[in-house]
Amino acid sequence: MTAAPSARRSTRWGEPQRVRERELLASFAAMPADDPRRKAVRDELVTMHLPLVQHCARRYRDRGESLDDLVQVGTIGLIKAVDRFDTGRGLEFSTFATPTILGEIKRHFRDRAWAIKVPRRLQELQSAMTQATDRLTRELGRAPTVRELAAAMGVDENDVLDAIEARHAYATDSLDSSRDGDDDRPAALGDSLGVDDPALEAVEYRESLRPLLAALPDRERRIVLLRFFHNKSQSQIAEDLGISQMHVSRLLARALTKLRAGMTDATTH
Amino acid sequence: MADSVTLSFRADTRNVGLARTVAAAMSARADLPLDQLEDVRLAVDEAVAQLIVDAPKTAQITCVFTIVDAELDITVTAPTVTGATPATDTFSWTVLTALVDSVTAAIESDVVTLSLHVVRQIPVDA
Repeated sequence: MTAAPSARRSTRWGEPQRVRERELLASFAAMPADDPRRKAVRDELVTMHLPLVQHCARRYRDRGESLDDLVQVGTIGLIKAVDRFDTGRGLEFSTFATPTILGEIKRHFRDRAWAIKVPRRLQELQSAMTQATDRLTRELGRAPTVRELAAAMGVDENDVLDAIEARHAYATDSLDSSRDGDDDRPAALGDSLGVDDPALEAVEYRESLRPLLAALPDRERRIVLLRFFHNKSQSQIAEDLGISQMHVSRLLARALTKLRAGMTDATTH
Repeated sequence: MADSVTLSFRADTRNVGLARTVAAAMSARADLPLDQLEDVRLAVDEAVAQLIVDAPKTAQITCVFTIVDAELDITVTAPTVTGATPATDTFSWTVLTALVDSVTAAIESDVVTLSLHVVRQIPVDA
């Protein structure tokens, strides 16, 4: 039995959806780049093709990165495909978009995952931990404990701790070397949290904090504000942003390191 | 019944990772869910980094982790050259207070102690 090509997914649509897709693509192509209506059209096109992204992401689910994260990077590929699609070439949009989405997911693995050499045992542990965390979080309605993870994975609690440490070690090295993609996120995440957030007023020396926050990539800044000034838990933020809690944790640690370095500079100069 | 671990090291930022690792291990032992464990890890990182900045170079930093039932208490102690506890109107302090249930600072004879208190967010038999 052969797997259905991913492009075929959209052909399961009824006629009304195919008509709508063509309408949207045609009007998107006709709009000048600064047309304010472009965003809504693009959002609708992205939303209607999200199942295609999910399908592509699932092909890579067992490689140690969470499905949420893969869907996230795949969506960036989808947005690029919407922006680059040329209606005049007679291609189905899904046929055009699939390689772009897969390309973005593969780039994610190339750039971020295992960019530094992680021992095979830890790679396998992390892969198992990612899957067990996803599953247990769904089952329990909260993040699992190390004990619960160890039981679910059939390993020692120290093995889970090793995997947590290794995750941070590899994340600091490999995520720093690849920054693009972060600001290239789906617009659907909203842009409400900026440096003018009223919650920042409570911090006395916000004047030095503000430029440092402004220098962070959008998503890191949003996570810092939600976690420290809006008292959302890492799990709540993960849900809001559609990424895994482990990813939130990595981004939070990374952002804090940058902020601290910036503030130490400010006080010693 | 209290389960306690003490870690002592020179006031050097290269040692912060040691404190983080012990923080994660003790959080696991206290049965904290993963997101709370990550918060404690960050909080200890922040507390130790804060005290290192104001400590004499040759000073020792001491972290004590104590688990009692569903609670984890962490104290970070270090000599300070400023003669005062860390300011509480800073981003760093905001971060600390957001990451754990409560933080207090005390000073005695130019030695500062930050006390972090963490309460497990899930029922024991969950």
